[in-house]
Amino acid sequence: MKIVKFLSLLGWQLVLSSSAGAGDQYETEILAQGLDHPWSMAYISDTQMLVTELSGELKLITDGQLRPTPIEGVPEVLFAGQGGLSEVLLHPEFEENGFVYLSFSAPDTQEPALNSLNVVRARLKGDTLVEHKTIFKSDPPRKTAAHYGARLAFMADGSLLITSGDGFNYREKAQSLDNHFGKILRVNDDGSIPVDNPFANTPGALPEIWSYGHRNLQGLVIQDDGTVFEHEHGPKGGDELNIIVPGNNYGWPAITYGIDYSGATISPFTEKVGMEQPVKYWVPSIAPSSMALYQGDMFPSWNGDLFISAMVPGDLRRLELNGEKVADEEILFPELGRIRNIIIAPDGSLIIATDGKDGKLVRVFADN
Amino acid sequence: MIKGSVSFLVAVAIATVLLVTQTTASNIAWLSSMDMPIDTPMVASMLIGDLIGMNFKGEFPVAALIFVGMLIAFVVARIVLVWVDIDKRYLYALAGGAALFAIVGLMPLAFYNLDLIAGARSLLGKVYLICSGMIAGYYFGARQTEGSTDENR
Repeated sequence: MKIVKFLSLLGWQLVLSSSAGAGDQYETEILAQGLDHPWSMAYISDTQMLVTELSGELKLITDGQLRPTPIEGVPEVLFAGQGGLSEVLLHPEFEENGFVYLSFSAPDTQEPALNSLNVVRARLKGDTLVEHKTIFKSDPPRKTAAHYGARLAFMADGSLLITSGDGFNYREKAQSLDNHFGKILRVNDDGSIPVDNPFANTPGALPEIWSYGHRNLQGLVIQDDGTVFEHEHGPKGGDELNIIVPGNNYGWPAITYGIDYSGATISPFTEKVGMEQPVKYWVPSIAPSSMALYQGDMFPSWNGDLFISAMVPGDLRRLELNGEKVADEEILFPELGRIRNIIIAPDGSLIIATDGKDGKLVRVFADN
Repeated sequence: MIKGSVSFLVAVAIATVLLVTQTTASNIAWLSSMDMPIDTPMVASMLIGDLIGMNFKGEFPVAALIFVGMLIAFVVARIVLVWVDIDKRYLYALAGGAALFAIVGLMPLAFYNLDLIAGARSLLGKVYLICSGMIAGYYFGARQTEGSTDENR
């Protein structure tokens, strides 16, 4: 009852409901608020979490308390449009080596009017990032501040996947292998390039490319069996959930289920031999912003489900998988509005970050 | 007044059709370069679809954008004509070009350099669209000139 009063005072609704067909009861509580465009979260221990703010700060939350002073040593970012400090990801052996990976947009060192997507590895020592190493910088730089992608995920072999968006103005380049627009890249944890990448020996192709023909990829999860799920924003309609196979072409912008923001046809084609079809697509758009694979004890009936945060109109999607197909889709928490990020906490609860200047972290936990 | 209004609307229509056609053409050209099976009915269908889509299905109707841009530019041109003796056709052509420059050249600056009109992403595309505005403006100026003497052209 206390929690109900607390949340009501904050203008939030306590949600008590059951997931469709699952029978799980859950509650929500606000974990933190007043975050400036929270974008990504990562637990560094059972009680401590790092949160990136797009505006450029990396914050620490301990036992549900947001520390006002940011982590020091975060590289300077370009905070404009959709650009800024984006992903925070821990090395699989973080407890031993303390490596944290950050993705962010930054002005080009040669031409400051241009900018690029960067990925930096640094060691977290106390409250400071040290020993920075840039392990990826998108090429060529762009003049636009949009469509960076910027998601990161480690594969079981220790290599790192990086999503790099099409830069909005450069969509056709997603079909060429000589640039980083509209690609998933695969590098080793130190930025070197694995020799078994699909285009490692293709003349004219960048060896770090793992898949291509993407738009603005902001969701990336890897199942235990190695299956890589990715989602990307479509234009006006045509958001996609894909299963990524190395070397494959995902079609953008030659095939798409969406139209341009101007209302123009981007392509009248939705399929072509040699270009992959999405596992699922959304028309109209839901603006998928992140994805988590549920693997926890708190909600056993959700195990193996994908959770996708959506910004239009703003909710959380639970996708029940049947092999490589989506068997069911449930819409959760529409009252939260635009949701920027979803992760699974060590205890199995869901942590949701709402979008915007006054971003909130909301914890979804079992009611038992 | 009515003649002027009709001429203005026709000028807006000219610029709109040229802009939409260029966007459609640039998309078709790229799709063809990708060996996508584009045929004549598809071209016609895309063009008609874009004329409708870019005015009724997008985030902003391009005809309305051009209408506002040209209205401002032509009013300024009309004021300039009070003091400057210049051929109306050329002045309105300049005004039409300025209106399209504002739309395809300046508007992206407010949106983090995003070119929301796909055909305007290249320098060549921008130049073409500015020329489209000049053609529409020239038409409007020519209509204003009709019936007037050489002295006040």
